Amino acid sequence: MNSEVDVERAQDLDRRLRAYEELQSGQRWPGALTTTDCVALAVLALALVVGFYLWGGQP
Amino acid sequence: MSPSREQEFRLGAERGDTPLLPSERVWGFWGFAYANSALAVATWVFLIGGATALFVGPRQGICAVVIGNIIGVILAGCSTSLPCGKYGVEQFTFLRSMFGINGSRLVYVLSVVVLTMGWLAVLGLMCGRALDNLDTLVQQRPAGAGDGWLVTAGGLLAIVLAAAVAMRGPDMIRRLSAVIAPSLILIMLALMYLILQRFSIGELLAMPALQLPFEDPHVNFMIAVEINIAAGFSWWPYLGNLSRLCSNQRTAFWPNLVGIFGAASLGETVSLFAASTLGSSDPTTWMRLAGGMGFGVVALSFLALANLTGMVNILYTAVIGLRQLAGERLRAMRWGLLIALFCVIPVAIVLLLPGIYDGFFIFLVWTSALNSALAGIGIADYFFLRRQRLNLRHLYAAQGESALRFCKGFNPIALVALVAGFAIYVVVFNPQTLANTHFFRFVTASLPSCLLAGLVHYGLTRLLAARLGWGGYPQGNERTLQAGPTC
Repeated sequence: MNSEVDVERAQDLDRRLRAYEELQSGQRWPGALTTTDCVALAVLALALVVGFYLWGGQP
Repeated sequence: MSPSREQEFRLGAERGDTPLLPSERVWGFWGFAYANSALAVATWVFLIGGATALFVGPRQGICAVVIGNIIGVILAGCSTSLPCGKYGVEQFTFLRSMFGINGSRLVYVLSVVVLTMGWLAVLGLMCGRALDNLDTLVQQRPAGAGDGWLVTAGGLLAIVLAAAVAMRGPDMIRRLSAVIAPSLILIMLALMYLILQRFSIGELLAMPALQLPFEDPHVNFMIAVEINIAAGFSWWPYLGNLSRLCSNQRTAFWPNLVGIFGAASLGETVSLFAASTLGSSDPTTWMRLAGGMGFGVVALSFLALANLTGMVNILYTAVIGLRQLAGERLRAMRWGLLIALFCVIPVAIVLLLPGIYDGFFIFLVWTSALNSALAGIGIADYFFLRRQRLNLRHLYAAQGESALRFCKGFNPIALVALVAGFAIYVVVFNPQTLANTHFFRFVTASLPSCLLAGLVHYGLTRLLAARLGWGGYPQGNERTLQAGPTC
């Protein structure tokens, strides 16, 4: 863990981890799933499950 | 740092050694939607559609395909795409946060290695069947009952060829993959056209199932739903590593509904119609019967080639991951030797258990017993215990210094939860015999497995992890904990 390449590799990892720590410490994360996404997903899933069950899922 | 060294580290990040930064990720919404659809529309959609037709007719089958896939894809996506898409971490590195460093290796072996070996055997045998049907078609002789030597020989040849291509590396794989997905879509369109020439939509929807295993139609429907939930869950081992290449979390999640839900459901629906109208769940038989000599020869040849491409893709991905996780000894082994050793078990399955092809859905449903529990643990850990905030330093620290060292690198709590989820699945619905409890008719087997595994993981972690200092979980209003003692 002492060769030059290992030191540079550790620095590169640290740079990447710091970038995410900065994002994490901010108020909002760019491109994160929002409440609207979650509601839309739940409605879509429920509509598909119930709708298709009523259309042809019942024997 | 020199540009060449920067390039080397960037490549390392792409391969999963370190997290990919948002600026380094290559896929936007449509890029990922295309890649996702190309992966989804492979020969496995033929097999899943064909298996669904065994239990239900096309009308109920379409419902089972949609209901099963949406449940499986959403749960698999929430537990993998969301964390990996947010932090750009490799999926099995992310799994260290719940299973520990050695635990995530164990999960890799269970979910990726076993799954890939099974799929290699199934797709190899499908290649063999395609060659056998091609021979039947060209020789213009009646199809024989049972598998001849050509099926086994074709299966073995396919595995050897897949290994040979995988040894040559990713360039050849990319070139092969680029032509296969569009060709399969053309075959599906042609198949649908040929079917609609003979039957109206009303006639198609009213067709019966091929082979009803139970008298109760509701049980047959629920088995069809379970097969399709399994199909959705079968993406669990791969989704995280695809999602980390997307520009952000939303881009990593929504295209799954276009590709592995939407495109796969369409492909499975066409397959369902083909199986019901042609009277067989075997896709290689449809190609022979659907459209005469010309269509049959072209479609079967493409089917064999498409299988080969799928095999090369999963073999290459699995062995790359194995090298990343398994340590120095495997990394030092020659690439070609590693590929060859990986193929020994699939070859044995082709020789000793050729029935895996016709009972393919049994294999698929077994994998769901594992994947549903893994998804439940992932959701409980990431959303409810860590509140969507990972400490990446813990993930990348050496085992001795990390809060994720748990007990000798394994988190016993997550492993107990995994066993509990797997066990409840088999109790509610036995994939081997299809024996099921009354409970199965209302809630399937995957959902209780996912829920129980999540609850056990959540409950035991809340009860024990803080006392034992395991996992660096946040407590109260804290966001993260520092490393604690180990056992």
